[in-house]
Amino acid sequence: MTIRRTLARTIALAAALGSVGIVADAHACGDAWVPEIQIDYRIDGIARAEKTYGKGRHVAAAASVIRMMPHAKNLEPKKSTLVERAVRMLAVATARENGALPVAREVPRYAQGSWLGKTPEDRAKNLAWAIETLRKIDGIKKDDPAVKTDLAEALAKVDAHRAEARSLLEALSKKDLVATPEGYAVLAELRSSGGDAAGGKLALTRCEAMAKEAAVCHGRRS
Amino acid sequence: MAPFVRTWMLALALLVALSGCEQRREHTVGAPAAPKKPSAKTPAPPSSRVQAAVGDAQRGRRLVEQFECNRCHDGTGLQAAAFEKHCVRCHEDIWQGKFRARTAAGDNWKDHIAHVRVAPSLEGVGRRLRPDYIESFLRDPHDVRPALAPSMPRLALNAEQVRDVVAHLVTLAPAVSRPDRSLEGADLEHGRQLLEEKGCGSCHSFSGVAALPTRPNPDAGSEQQRRAVQLAPDLRYARDRLRLENAALWIMDPRSLKSDTLMPASGLTRDEARDVAAYVLETPLAPAAPRQPPRRLPPLDRRVGFVEVQERVLGRTCGHCHGNADRALGDGGPGNTGGFGFAPRRLDLTSYGGVASGLLDDRGERHSVFDKLEDGTPRLVAALLARQAEEAGKPNPAVRGMPLGLPSLPSEDIQLVDTWIAQGRPR
Repeated sequence: MTIRRTLARTIALAAALGSVGIVADAHACGDAWVPEIQIDYRIDGIARAEKTYGKGRHVAAAASVIRMMPHAKNLEPKKSTLVERAVRMLAVATARENGALPVAREVPRYAQGSWLGKTPEDRAKNLAWAIETLRKIDGIKKDDPAVKTDLAEALAKVDAHRAEARSLLEALSKKDLVATPEGYAVLAELRSSGGDAAGGKLALTRCEAMAKEAAVCHGRRS
Repeated sequence: MAPFVRTWMLALALLVALSGCEQRREHTVGAPAAPKKPSAKTPAPPSSRVQAAVGDAQRGRRLVEQFECNRCHDGTGLQAAAFEKHCVRCHEDIWQGKFRARTAAGDNWKDHIAHVRVAPSLEGVGRRLRPDYIESFLRDPHDVRPALAPSMPRLALNAEQVRDVVAHLVTLAPAVSRPDRSLEGADLEHGRQLLEEKGCGSCHSFSGVAALPTRPNPDAGSEQQRRAVQLAPDLRYARDRLRLENAALWIMDPRSLKSDTLMPASGLTRDEARDVAAYVLETPLAPAAPRQPPRRLPPLDRRVGFVEVQERVLGRTCGHCHGNADRALGDGGPGNTGGFGFAPRRLDLTSYGGVASGLLDDRGERHSVFDKLEDGTPRLVAALLARQAEEAGKPNPAVRGMPLGLPSLPSEDIQLVDTWIAQGRPR
C-alpha cells in the first residue's frame, strides 16, 4: 500500500514538474504570465529544403536537413510528419552519393558524424540507414510509387539488394509509374548490367526525356 | 398445409406487400413523365410535366450525407459541413482575411478562391422546383447561373440514387397544392412590360428573348447585390425548373417559398405576378445556339517543363482538390483523400513525384495519369477536355470532366499539359 502511495505521489510530482517544463517558455508582462509560443523554424526550413531538392540539388537539401536535425539518423519517420519528409530527402541524397555526402563545407563538424562517408564502413552504414529509412516510409505510405522509386534507387546501391531494386522498378515501369528520372537512370543501369541492352537504352531514353539535365541520366551530379 | 391456411397466408402476404407499397409511397413523389417540348406557337403548360420521381427519402438523406452536399449548399436537411471542409465558408474567410494563415499565403490564395464564395441554398427546393427537373439536373448537370463560376458537379450518382436524393429534398419542403394558380388567360405582353419595369434584368439574364433592360440599383456594388447577381438563374430555364402552381407566388413573395432567398419581393399584385409568370414560362424562346467544345490545340513547338505546367495549371487549379495530404492536416482534398461521394483516388497533383505517381481506380489499383485512352489521349488531358465537352452539353460518360464543377480550362492551358506529356514530362 505504502509502495503504491509513494509511486502515485512520484508520478503526480513528475506530472506536475512536466507541466511546469511545458510552460517554462514564458515571460512576465505587467502582472500577467504570458506563455511564449515557440516557433519551429524547421517547418519552413524543411519546406525550403524540399524546394532545393525539387530543383535537383539534393546534396544542398541534405546538408540543410542535417543542419536542422543533426540527430536525423536516430529519428523515426512517422506518418505525415516533418521528420518523415526530412529523412526521406536525406536518405535519397545519401543513396545518390553512394553513402558519402559531400557536405563538409556546409555542415558544422559537430554534426557531420559519419555523413561524409570517409571509410567504406561509414558508407555502408549510411546506405544501410538510407534503405532502412525508405523501407519504413514505404511501409507508412503504402502503394506510393514515388517512395518505391526512391527505395529502389537506394537498394540498387547495395549488391545484395540489386535484384529487389530491379523488380520494384520493372513493376513500376510496366505501369508507367516510375516517378523520377533518377529511377529510370537506375533501371537503365540495372537492365544493361543484367544483359538487357535494349531495355537499358529504352529506360535511358525515358530518363533523358524526364530529366532537366541529361547529366542526371549519365553520371554523378549534385 | 391445409388449403385455407395457405389461402390466409397468401392473403396476409399480399396485404403486407401492399401495405409496404403504401408506406413507401409516403416517401415518394411520383414517377417522371416524358417532358413535352413547348412549341413556339402553342406553348405547353408546364404543369402537364410536373411529375415526381419515385425514391426513398431516408436513403436520399443518407446519400446527401455521403455525397457531402452540405460542403457547398445550405438547406440540405443536414448541418453545414465542418468549417475546414466547407468550400464556401472557408473561401469567404480567406477572402475577408479572417482565415488563420500567414497574410502572404492568404493573399496568394485569394486569386484562386475568389470565384467560389457562394453556392445556392437548397432551402425550400421541393416547394419551388419540379422533381423531374431536379432529377434530370442531378443526372446531367448544366449551368443555369451565368454569373456564377462554379456549377453543379457531375457526381457519381446512379439513377436510383438520384431519385432517392430528390425524394429527400422534396420531403424537406413538400409542395403545397394550389390548383387555382393556372396561368390561363394571362397577358404575356403585360408580363414582359412588368419584367422590364421591375428591373429584373439587373440580376437575371433571359436568353432566347430580347435582352431585358437593367435598372440603376442603389445597392449595386454591394456584397448582397454581388451575391444576388451570381445566384440569379437564366430565366430561360424557369419553365423547366419551376412548379407552375408556385410561379406567381415566387414572383410576388419569394421568401414565403424560400426563407433565405436574395430575390426581393416584387410588389406586384397577384394578377400582375401571373402575367410575369406566364411571360417567363410560356413566351416562345429562340433556340439556344448549339455549343461546340473548343478545338484541341496541337502541341507547342517549344520545350515545356513541369514548373511551367505547375505554375499555370496544376498548382493554380488542380492542387486544391488533388493536394498533398501530408501538408494539409491529413486532408489532401476530395480528389486525393476522398469526398463528394468519391473514393480516395490518392492523386496528388502538387509535385512532380505526386503527378508521376498516378491515381487509384475504383478497384484500388494504381494507374498512371498519362495512360492513353482508346483514342490515344492521355488520361489527364482527356479529363480536361471532357470538362470543355460537358460545358458544351456533351458529357463523356467514360471520363469525368475536370476541374469538377468549375469552368473548364482554356485550350491554351490544356495545350500546355498536352505538350508537356508529349515531350516525356520533363521535370
